[in-house]
Amino acid sequence: MSSFKRKSAKHSGTLPGTRPSPGSVATLLTSTGIPSLDDVLGGGLPLSCSLLVAAPDPHSSYGELVQKYFIVQGLVSSQDVLLIDDNPLDFVKGCMWTTSDLNCKVFGEEEEERSDERIKIAWRYESMKQFQTTVGQSIANTENFCRAFDLTSRIPDSVIQRALYSKQLEVCDVTSFQSTALVLSEVVSRIEQILASRSKTTPLRICLPALGSPGWGDSSSEDLLHFLRRTRMLVRRHTNACLSISLPPHLSVEDWSGRGWIEKIGWSTDALITLAAFTANPSMTSLFPSHHGLVHIHTLPAPFTFLPPSDKFSLLRGLSAAADSSGSGENNLAFKCTRKRFIIETMHLDLEGGISERRTNPSSTAREFTGTKLIETSGERAGVPKAGLANVEVELEEEKVRAEQSTNPTAPVSGKGSTQGQAMTETGVPSRRKVNKPKKKVGFQTDRPDVYDF
Amino acid sequence: MFSPFDLPDGIFLLITDELAAPADFALISSLISHLKCFNKTKIIYLSILESWNRLQSLCTKSGINLSPRSVSETLHFIDVLSHLPRLNTNEAPSLRIIYDLVAGILEGRQGGMIILDDISSLEWTGHSLEDLSRFCRALRVLCLKTKTTLIVRHHILAPNEPDELLRRLQQICSYHMDVRPLSSGRSGAVSGEIALHAGPSLLGSDSRPESVQVKLLSRQRALQYRLTDSDVVFFERGSSRGVL
Repeated sequence: MSSFKRKSAKHSGTLPGTRPSPGSVATLLTSTGIPSLDDVLGGGLPLSCSLLVAAPDPHSSYGELVQKYFIVQGLVSSQDVLLIDDNPLDFVKGCMWTTSDLNCKVFGEEEEERSDERIKIAWRYESMKQFQTTVGQSIANTENFCRAFDLTSRIPDSVIQRALYSKQLEVCDVTSFQSTALVLSEVVSRIEQILASRSKTTPLRICLPALGSPGWGDSSSEDLLHFLRRTRMLVRRHTNACLSISLPPHLSVEDWSGRGWIEKIGWSTDALITLAAFTANPSMTSLFPSHHGLVHIHTLPAPFTFLPPSDKFSLLRGLSAAADSSGSGENNLAFKCTRKRFIIETMHLDLEGGISERRTNPSSTAREFTGTKLIETSGERAGVPKAGLANVEVELEEEKVRAEQSTNPTAPVSGKGSTQGQAMTETGVPSRRKVNKPKKKVGFQTDRPDVYDF
Repeated sequence: MFSPFDLPDGIFLLITDELAAPADFALISSLISHLKCFNKTKIIYLSILESWNRLQSLCTKSGINLSPRSVSETLHFIDVLSHLPRLNTNEAPSLRIIYDLVAGILEGRQGGMIILDDISSLEWTGHSLEDLSRFCRALRVLCLKTKTTLIVRHHILAPNEPDELLRRLQQICSYHMDVRPLSSGRSGAVSGEIALHAGPSLLGSDSRPESVQVKLLSRQRALQYRLTDSDVVFFERGSSRGVL
């Protein structure tokens, strides 16, 4: 028996719903309930850190949606939740709940996205793995760290009652305070009191879904910044608590209370992310029809390091050395809210981007090309309406094709010799043009007007 | 002061940064550098944002254990917010308490370091410009009397529009370290760049020994840096040494 033992974190697994940070075993991460947001944060929200979500769009409430994920993730993973709001019970009742089928499409792409798998675009793209624009999660992680939630299902009342009875869920109604002028200081005192009286065996999630909304009274920017700093320092001192806050739309704009408001709140929290939805801007909606808004990352948690772990481990941001775009800039991120879930994904042109390397390798199966027309051999596309498909046109010089045929009769292009020959005769006379350098032109045509040539 | 800047002791260093390029590393590198050079001088860390746990963790990774120094009272970590009036009170916040605290610690001592992290937060939480200017001037005078290095961090909100507080700080500082993000956005290979300017008290005084040794860096010749977990790597702009 070997005397060597694997070095592992002592506290790993002792706190429910947490896991050590991939960069440092001293840092425990907890999930926000949204796998892609966890990835942006560097694996999850570290305990003792605060997250602030700004949602400046007045016609949507994506900030509150993130907080609902945060609450139900805490309830599901047996963590304690402290909800501070002007109507906390109604807020909890509006939360989503877990999906029963773990292998359902919550983890994969949506049904309509899956239908793309049947499309044969071109032989050289056949062996490529499916294009990914966001991160999923493994089933193993799901059980322990981040569960799958379904936006179409609601949290059962029995779960809420049980959580309230067992004090797993504690609610604090800000309208119950006697003086609206002292709401912020009362809330700080309440958080301080709760943190001081707790045991360290269960993580506590503190959630403020609408800090500064009318129910909180009339607070100045100085008061709000002071509040953010004090709560941040409180959470920092208690290593088994984390804090998630959303700001209402009127407090999420850049110029509230003068210049640089977003920078000021960014300095006052560990992580600040803006979810800028398109609903108020029809031109953005038409520009990015598959997304509902942009994700702006202002600051990210770095509890014990200079460099935020997200810079090293986030696949979506693409700054890490392992990423395909190492050394280049950060990926643009956008979010969308489908019928079942909220997703953050990379935003890019149709042919580039994504979170994984896409490399084209020669396919083992051959296709015939002649002139500018693609000859179908397998008949796989028969019956599929052309309008909904991505058509690919490949142009090759005839001389090059013929040269390859003559020099290497077993080359992939002429692999099915008889069919190829037949195709050549069917498609007319080959071009006699002489060019110094063989040109290769690939045009991707979708049902949208954008065409890229390279 | 930390390499490659090697600033002399006893100066007033103003460090400005932006949200996309925080200057935590500059403050903590200065602290570590001072702790490695001087064992028994007093160091006062006036913190508004930084937590003791994070500071301790970062210093431990550089081979410095802060706990014994805190016990022996050569290092004082002061949470400024806990000494100031609470929220929503009508009491006028005064920084006199903090100044008295610092002056009491430095009494009868020579050499040392005061780090104020950061002054912008005090302004944003309701302290007047006059109060902050007076506080900084008072700290500067105290440092001159006790030959103590003063480092003040200031967050810039709008890069091209210096605020009034920054103008006043620039008037009394010895050096201004300008930490900025890349204009092209975040990158995995370059975290940001640093320029070093001389303050008005040093301009035109090339004969002063401290100004002769320091190599100033304009924004056009700014030094680029890349952050790691507990360290920072500097390299010249346009070279691939820091990237490859």
